[in-house]
Amino acid sequence: MGPLVVNEIISPETNLLLAFIIGIAFGFVLEINGFSSTRRLAGMFYGYDTTVLKVFFTAAITGMIGILFLSLFGWLDLSLIYINPTFLWSAIGGGVIMGAGFILGGYCPGTSFCAAAIGKLDAMAFIGGIFIGIFIFAEGYPLWEGFYKAKDLGSPLMNDLIGTSRGVMTLMIIVVALAMFWVGEWAEKKFARADYKINQR
Amino acid sequence: MKALHILALAIVPLGIIIAAVPENTTRPYKLTADELLIEVTEGRQFMAPDEIAQMLVDKDPSLQLIDVRGADEFEKFSLPGAINIPLENLLSAGFEDVLNQDIKLNVFYSNSSNDANQAWMIARQLGFKNNYVLRGGLNYWAETILKPEKPAEGSPNEELAKYNFRMGASQALGGGTETAAAGTAPMSAAPPVIQKIKKKKTAAGGC
Repeated sequence: MGPLVVNEIISPETNLLLAFIIGIAFGFVLEINGFSSTRRLAGMFYGYDTTVLKVFFTAAITGMIGILFLSLFGWLDLSLIYINPTFLWSAIGGGVIMGAGFILGGYCPGTSFCAAAIGKLDAMAFIGGIFIGIFIFAEGYPLWEGFYKAKDLGSPLMNDLIGTSRGVMTLMIIVVALAMFWVGEWAEKKFARADYKINQR
Repeated sequence: MKALHILALAIVPLGIIIAAVPENTTRPYKLTADELLIEVTEGRQFMAPDEIAQMLVDKDPSLQLIDVRGADEFEKFSLPGAINIPLENLLSAGFEDVLNQDIKLNVFYSNSSNDANQAWMIARQLGFKNNYVLRGGLNYWAETILKPEKPAEGSPNEELAKYNFRMGASQALGGGTETAAAGTAPMSAAPPVIQKIKKKKTAAGGC
């Protein structure tokens, strides 16, 4: 049955429409959960609010379990799933630049649009910065093309690297996630700030 | 109870289940029986010998002929550029890249259409695209391309043009030279134009 577009159950246009609706829902959920607050996002780096870690780890394990169960029931053909290829050096370089921007600006690209939607001026400045970055990257592309395309690993999967099944890998990540949640909650107590209350609005 | 505990209670059992069950590697069938029946009755998988001959003469790089007969028959006679995938080896892992792709135009052939049709039907059910069948197989190929029958006097021009093309193709593809040497065909006639069927393109997968 799935993936719906590849199997022509829905058209690519319908796919875009669904993506639009899901995207709006995603932004809405981010916003009502305080992800447009720079203090909440920066708290991840200082340890006083680890909501970001908990939310995205929960999303990852929910997605993993969902996909594997859909495949188990024969509703989704995993061999047709698009897996983003890994270019090792640009992934590391991009991660460092993105992390630096995250801690400096207090947003990640998605949450900056979320915060701009409720009228935060610093988020709009952040978006301006994103476009400056895009412009520099595009205009200077010949300079970093070699780095950008270096170390193409194809689409490796972690479970193949350590030689286990997808299901066992998922269980291991669930255990790691729960351990990280526990560490996160410990950090929130350890690095708590007098002027910041978790889940404040 | 803390949220973390509730989450752990819900998600750990699911993780254990998914770790314990075997991975589902079966591909769901791409076509329903109804859809396949329509394709079969309309004969959408067939390509005429003239179309294939034209592509061979043009050295069309997109054409990939696939001989589904046994290796011994393949060695005795095969069409130019054909590769041999005996029907019983169709599902060998090594051939999946040949069958499951969207660049080349795969055309199965056997002596008649039967084995080629079976190969096509299996490939189609696996959801592979761009696979076709040479109509009538090699027997019909020999009748039409290698030893074309001269149309009767007073036949319409299209028939003569078709015949001329077949004679030319026959010479180019190394068959029936003795009939061509007889020189009965009016080779000065306008070169035949074979209308290529435009193959329908389906949306590719991806993100």
